[in-house]
This record gives sequence, C-alpha cells and structure tokens, in this order.
Amino acid sequence: MIGGPVLAVETSCDESAAAVVQGRDVRSSVVASQADLHAPYGGVVPEVAARHHLGTINAVIDEALERAGVRADNLAAVAVTQRPGLIGALLVGVSTARAFAYARGLPMVMVDHLHGHIAAAWLNPVALDPPFVSLVASGGHTRLDLVRDLAAPQLLGETIDDAAGEALDKGARLLGLGYPGGPALERLAEGGDRAEHAFPVALGGAGVRDFSFAGVKTSLLYAVRGRDPGDAERADLAASYQEAVVRPLAERLVAAALEHGVPAVALGGGVAANGRLRTLVAERAAAAGLRVAIPDRALCTDNAAMIGAAAQFRPLTPWPEFVSFDAAPDASPAGVGA
Amino acid sequence: MTTFALDTSTPSPSLALIRGDVVVATLRLDATPRAGRRVMMGAHELFTSSGVPVTDVDRVVVGVGPGAFTGVRVGISTALGLAQALGCEVTGAVSAEAAARGIAAVAPPGAVLVPASDARRGELFAAAYRAAPGRALEELLEPCAIAPEALGARVAELCEAADAPALAAGDGAAALAPHLPGGASVAPEGSPAHLLDAVHLVACVDAGNGVPARPVYARLPDAEVNRLRALGAAT
Ligand SMILES: [Zn+2]
Repeated sequence: MIGGPVLAVETSCDESAAAVVQGRDVRSSVVASQADLHAPYGGVVPEVAARHHLGTINAVIDEALERAGVRADNLAAVAVTQRPGLIGALLVGVSTARAFAYARGLPMVMVDHLHGHIAAAWLNPVALDPPFVSLVASGGHTRLDLVRDLAAPQLLGETIDDAAGEALDKGARLLGLGYPGGPALERLAEGGDRAEHAFPVALGGAGVRDFSFAGVKTSLLYAVRGRDPGDAERADLAASYQEAVVRPLAERLVAAALEHGVPAVALGGGVAANGRLRTLVAERAAAAGLRVAIPDRALCTDNAAMIGAAAQFRPLTPWPEFVSFDAAPDASPAGVGA
Repeated sequence: MTTFALDTSTPSPSLALIRGDVVVATLRLDATPRAGRRVMMGAHELFTSSGVPVTDVDRVVVGVGPGAFTGVRVGISTALGLAQALGCEVTGAVSAEAAARGIAAVAPPGAVLVPASDARRGELFAAAYRAAPGRALEELLEPCAIAPEALGARVAELCEAADAPALAAGDGAAALAPHLPGGASVAPEGSPAHLLDAVHLVACVDAGNGVPARPVYARLPDAEVNRLRALGAAT
C-alpha cells in the first residue's frame, strides 16, 4: 500500500475524473461527465471525448486536490488509467498525469481501468477484502473475476460481443428511448411483466462463463420491427429484455462464488446501479449465504477513486522512469493486475 | 525567466529551454510514428543534458496547432500538466506562426510566408503571414485545413496584393509546389525552414501573439460534420 495521498486521474471514456485516495479512504472524487455532449450523436464519439477531456481535466484535478485539502507537495504518488479505452481520451489523462508527476518529482502508477472497477469495493465504507468474486458490468465492459489477491484478479469470464450496459442502451433505442437509455429502460420495465416475452438468456459461446448479448438484442429487434407496440406492451418488452440481460449476470456471479468457495460477491460498473440486477444478486446471494458488496453509485460508474484504489496494489514506478510510459487502447493480454 | 517550450503538432516534435534571451538547449524528436507521445522522454533528456531542473521553469510555452489532433493534444496536456504542478504560467503559440518565423529566416524581406503541413485527406494545414520589421508577424490567412489547389490560389492573391514573392515550407510544401503561382517557391530540400523550431514559439509569445493553451484544430470532428450534414439535409 502507498504510504500517503495518491492523486488519481481517469480519462478512458467520457468522464474526466480525478481523485485523492489515501489507503482505503476516498478523500475526494471529482467527475465531469460528458454524457450530454455525446447524446446528439447517439453514442460516445472518440474525437469529441478527447477534445473535451483536454480543457477539463486540469480543473478537475485542482478541484480534487482542493476538496481533499491536499497540496501537490503532500502527494505520495500520481496514478493514471493507462488502458483500455479510447486512445485519444486516454492520452490526455496519461500526458497530463505524467507531466504533473514529473514536475513534482513524484512516482507514478499506471492502472488498468478494469482493475479499478474491481478494486472499488475495497475502498471505504464498503471495505471488502478478498477473497470474493467481482462482476463489473457497464457500457464498455462485462466481466467476472475471482479475486483472491487484489494485485492479481483472475478473469473467469467476459462478454464475447456487446457489454451489458451497451445491450441495455441498444434495447432502449429499439424501444424508442434515446441515448443513453439504460436508466430509461429500467423505468419503463418497472411497469412491465418480465415473464411476458421469453427472450434468449445471455449465455456465452466458447467459455463456460462468457456472456453474449447479441442474441437477446436480435430477438428484441424482431419483436418490435415494423410495429408500433402500445405502452403496456413496450413495458413488457422492456421488463423481459432487461431480465434476459441482467439475470445471467446475477446467476453466474453467485454460482462462481459458490464454485470457488468464497464468502462474498461484489458489483461494479454503471450497470451495478440497475435495480433489478441488485435485487437479483441480493436474493440469490442471501439464499447462498454470501455477503454482497456494492459501492456507492459514484464509485461504480467511471471515476478516479477506483484508479487510486487499484494503484495501492500496483508497483510504483520511481521518478523519472515513467517518462517513457504510454497509453494503450487495448486490454492487457497479461491480465488487469499486470 | 526560464521558459520551457514544446511543439508536437508536426511529425518531428521540437523542444527548447530558454533562460532570459539565451537558448540553453534544444531537442528535436525523430519523425517516427507517434513521436509526439515521446515528448516527456525528450523533455527529461533536455532538462538532464542542460543541467536545468524542471522546477526552475517559470513559464511553459506550447504550440497549439493546427496539426495532427492527437499530437497537438499530447503537447498541450503535457504543458498544462507541468504548469499545473509547478504553479507557473502557461501560454500557447500558434504552431503555424512559429513555423512562419522559421521560414522568414530564409525568405526575402517582405515575402509572404506559407507554412504547410500534411493534414491527410488531400488537405494541408496552412496559414500565411508577412514579416513586419521589429513587430509580430502579420497574419494574412488564418490557420486552416485547405486543399493544395485552393491554397495555391490564395497564395497567388496574397502575393499580388502584397506585391511580394512567397516562400512555402513544411512537410506539406511539396504537395503545394505544383499549385504555387510564379514568384512563389518552396524552400529547398533540407532547409531548416521545413522544421518547426520550438524557439520560435517563444518569439511569437514575446512579440505579443501569445494565445490560450487550447488546441487550434482547424477541423471539426467527423461525427460533428456528419451530424451537421444530417441536420442540413433535414431542413
Ligand atoms: Zn468503466
């Protein structure tokens, strides 16, 4: 663990974020969301995201330091998301953080964004310690990890096509709900019957624990194509579709914990805010006698505090060795802790 | 005053360390792919070789483009990150104007100066300036992304209006050459005028032409172009 406050920076997608983390304590966490900016395009536009990060991230860093009451000379390290993500967006954060650390003579920690999502549950007040099984589901990722050591989560399964949040957004669009549509879909689903439509469940192909959402999405497309379903039917479609996306997530999370004999499960990513997913996980985990750890919504969606958390389990690169560090758009083949 | 200047808008990024009026050290990164992303390695080399610690810097000057979007952003992010951590001043300089200062050094007096860099898609990032003795460069054509033929036509107009020759340089100048009017030429191959020198960024700022450290893209994101086109088609 790093013996002092860490400034963490995250710009991998459409949130410009900075935080100050000390051990398990989040001393500040600031997120400037660009969601509204991308809404007119119906999805995140990489060039628009990169342009917005630049010009925002410095103010976000200032705000994070100020709210934490920490001055730059009291920092112990600077952490930044190195991968995976939109390369233009990542480069703004990496270039900013690298220059900041260089100018202050601070060591750096390069963090995998997914490692951050997994480590978020370790932060206070949830303060979950290994071993546990983690489910990270968002608009960009869907993965299940066995965490015996926070330095080296073991991937159990991931999506082979869309991410869960992406599937929910696409479903929302098919039902005429706009972008980003996950939360709107959830609201529409509240009044619907989730057993009305038997959509295929999102089970994966090759890997036993992999997920696939393409089939569910296609089924919804066929169900609405060329028709204009009324309000009640749309609510049923939304409820049934949401169920087909989130139920396999909850089932596999709990099944994996039982299989590996760990006492707890954790949720992360923006889809962790989905009420139906939370209910299903809570029910099944309770039946199986497992602890359920779900960080606050602000620590589930993209943020920099989680990057500061993962940094505690990564090696520090001393000044000035990190000057050669670069961002990478792809996932690390060696795993999120590598 | 110790100034650290950097420009990553071109394929061969340039860095300079200036104390008062004295250029203490300069460094150019090779024009290999993603050269701009190595800017911090270059900066460290510059500080180490010159013996000037980064903490001595009290002003950062950065080229704001136009140029490859990612390169421009890496340079500005680096400049802003350094200045934020050091608590020092940060100022932008238009990269095309700095390039024009390099061209002025080899151009006949009064010539129209045309920096032109490759903007892909059959276009150049270009601008035009005129040297005014003892003053900041006068901008004749604001930085833009423009087809070589169109730029050639603009240069012809500017030469006629100024009754002066023109000199173009930069990694896009060769594409412009066939479209230049009589009296206009491209700097000879190997001329230093083809490479933007970070020292000239500082000259732009010191001459009073400093700009905010924000990118000059000269081009909308493709998604925005498409969205506007769709809106136009709908009305
Ligand atoms: Zn994420």
